[in-house]
Amino acid sequence: MTRKISRRDFLKLASGTSLFGLGVLASGCASEQKDEGGDGWMPDQYQGRGDFPAHLKGRVAISPKNPSIMRDDEKCILCGQCIEACHNVIGVHGYYPLPLKDETACIGCGQCTMWCPTGAIHERPAVDQVEAALDDDSKFVVVQTAPATKVSLGEEFGMAPGSIVSGKQVAALRALGFDAVFDTCMSADMTIMEEASEALVRLTQKKDVLPHFTSCCPGWVRFCELFYPDLMKHLSTCKSPAAMMGATVKSYYAEKKGLDPKNIVTVSIMPCTAKKGEALRKELGHDGLQDVDYVLTTRELALLLKKKGIDFESLDNADYDSILGESTGAGRIFGATGGVAEASVRSLYYFATHQAPPANLLEWKAVRGLTSVKEAQASVPGVGTVSVAVVNGMASGRKVLDAIRAGQGSRWQFIEFMACPGGCIGGGGQPKSQFASSEDMRQRRIAALYQEDRGAKKRASHENAEIQTLYKEFYGQPLSERAEKYLHTSFVDQSEKIFDAETQHAPNTPPKAPKSQPAKD
Amino acid sequence: MAVLVDITKCIGCESCSVACKLWNKLPYGKKKSRKQKEEKDLDDDTWTVIQRKRVEAPSGKGYTRFVKKQCMHCLEPSCASACFSKALRVDPETHAVVYIPELCVGCRYCMLACPFEIPRYQWDEPLPLVTKCQLCASRLKDGDAPACVSACPTGALTFGGRDELLTKAHAIIEKDHRYINHVYGEKELGGTEWLYISDQPFEELGFKTDFEDIPPSTYTHAYLSKVPFLAAAWGLFLAAISWRYYKKHKNDPPKPPTPEEETREAGNHGEGDGMI
Ligand code: SF4
Ligand code: SF4
Ligand code: SF4
Ligand code: SF4
Ligand code: SF4
Ligand code: SF4
Repeated sequence: MTRKISRRDFLKLASGTSLFGLGVLASGCASEQKDEGGDGWMPDQYQGRGDFPAHLKGRVAISPKNPSIMRDDEKCILCGQCIEACHNVIGVHGYYPLPLKDETACIGCGQCTMWCPTGAIHERPAVDQVEAALDDDSKFVVVQTAPATKVSLGEEFGMAPGSIVSGKQVAALRALGFDAVFDTCMSADMTIMEEASEALVRLTQKKDVLPHFTSCCPGWVRFCELFYPDLMKHLSTCKSPAAMMGATVKSYYAEKKGLDPKNIVTVSIMPCTAKKGEALRKELGHDGLQDVDYVLTTRELALLLKKKGIDFESLDNADYDSILGESTGAGRIFGATGGVAEASVRSLYYFATHQAPPANLLEWKAVRGLTSVKEAQASVPGVGTVSVAVVNGMASGRKVLDAIRAGQGSRWQFIEFMACPGGCIGGGGQPKSQFASSEDMRQRRIAALYQEDRGAKKRASHENAEIQTLYKEFYGQPLSERAEKYLHTSFVDQSEKIFDAETQHAPNTPPKAPKSQPAKD
Repeated sequence: MAVLVDITKCIGCESCSVACKLWNKLPYGKKKSRKQKEEKDLDDDTWTVIQRKRVEAPSGKGYTRFVKKQCMHCLEPSCASACFSKALRVDPETHAVVYIPELCVGCRYCMLACPFEIPRYQWDEPLPLVTKCQLCASRLKDGDAPACVSACPTGALTFGGRDELLTKAHAIIEKDHRYINHVYGEKELGGTEWLYISDQPFEELGFKTDFEDIPPSTYTHAYLSKVPFLAAAWGLFLAAISWRYYKKHKNDPPKPPTPEEETREAGNHGEGDGMI
């Protein structure tokens, strides 16, 4: 009954009475109370005493400084999907020791954004910055598109998962006003030139750094730096294709076109939120310039196109700009799990034998598909049998990494790691389609990439004519001094951010005395 | 009923503070943070917050710790003894210090009295109320843990009887030398229902430890009622400033967002601020 008349109404009624008297009045008339303490909604898993183990409980921690993702608390319904993805798929939540050292661990993969049903977690947006760059006449704004975006962007416009929209994407980016539209598949070919050469050197001369780890996935790189820094020496020193493109645009391309690299803004369209963190790495730049200035996820590009009223479906296909726009089948399959291994081995075979890879290495079934850890062998004359492992999803990656730590590394010579399930086609910046997070959606996107590969006139990276010109005119040979400067990078042990021997070691000695006396009894 | 907070297990995910908002139907971001403080703090729509603390260890190393802040639910609550209209009282069944808005006259003695500076005042309302954590008393009566406790994914929050939790806390400290040998809330101000254990000194985590200086009885109802004139004048004075405040800010243009809000808003990409 007291609930019916709120205190506010009551005060209105009783206005004129002195505050003091009112207090007496009020305390006198409240006898029967409804229970205090809220009656809102919580998901079902939160009933009970709260001390039983439950799935889908709570959510991931996101630091306000996280360069890749952020969260709008207002939209969070505590469904617990993000924490499950982070733990079960990515192997991050629940794998860092407590108490914390500096930060909670996050590799920026964005899988939590894919699972979050309300959109509470989303990428750290860069649309405004890109628009500002496009509006700035003094800037030459270059954009590149990752392979996985070409088979997913259409989903944002109602097209079926796996629709190939590379040509439309180029047309759309031109319509947005980008000065040049380049293909990350082209720089994936560059990556293969460098990485296959590097792997060949390791396979034949520097066997102590085997197994060779790929380094194109920034989520995985961060994972290695945080959790397995002792294995960093196995990482390929190659930058990711996106960073290679940025570096080449701000050097070779600028030189060819007579542009001041300082006036070039490099934007990348990526299926990935970890790329946003990667773009900020000190190690990825030269002469005070960052290789990539802004990263837009596939979702953000769709948003920008919709905002500008560009009717995506009705666009005619357009071609990438030369001199960084040609790609081979090898570059295209980078977006799928197994693609980097397959592409590398194609060129590695050629570098070792000077012969085209055999047909079975152009349809290398054993490294394809959604299995989280795949193993395969390739026999390369002069090198021998190359044992390859392909990992997608870092929770599974831990098994492989732990085996290497335990001294079983000689099982493999080459290991491809991609943080996201299915590889970049399932990346954290991809459209959330009707198949969100399901295998079906990933299968269709992957199938589209292999279709692009089969349809390509050239299937191996070293056959790319623009690559050949680029090396002739600028980089010389793979692993040349100049290639090292622009296309290779270094890694930084980040483990001290999450591990600390002093506070995290095993409990065994008696408690320490309080630093100061607690308050009086 | 009590809650034990193990600071060493908290990852700062803020599931707890979101749970508190959901269960208590508290709105977000209505206040464009008047004092643009760096640290998150309680307000009348935010009954619990996670505060990020940086602790320098004697070794020179720095550590990040997260501290959950809410009403401590004192065994002898100063707020309740200061409240002459019994709007704040100890619920006999749950031992929660509950606030009954219907009884509140807005005098804000409780705010003066609370040694932890917990109760907040609805400055933006014409007839404001005081707000604070209710220990989810309604949930406790249904046998559920407080909303915040039930949502904690790491086990940093445990719910139970106070004696049971004290025993547990001491057992943890006993077994593990990394903990400070002190259960905060066991004895502070006669004891509280919220208890904390930590591996870092409490005073460096922003906990108040110098209670000797503030006799808890200073602002109690008994003390204040000895000087009725002062009490009445105080009440009128408070009512007057709050009315002026309300009038002054009622028609304020929206404040420019703080950098934090700006980044939050930047994610919305849209007109309006509703959820889509
Ligand atoms: S971005 Fe990846 S690592 Fe970071 S919280 Fe989300 S799922 Fe976990
Ligand atoms: S997935 Fe999204 S809505 Fe669910 S708990 Fe995580 S942040 Fe909240
Ligand atoms: S797998 Fe691809 S999308 Fe996922 S984190 Fe790695 S690079 Fe990004
Ligand atoms: S902490 Fe403050 S508001 Fe909470 S019970 Fe104690 S005195 Fe009252
Ligand atoms: S006990 Fe309830 S009211 Fe108090 S902080 Fe937790 S959720 Fe909020
Ligand atoms: S829910 Fe638990 S772990 Fe997360 S911030 Fe709250 S107390 Fe800490």
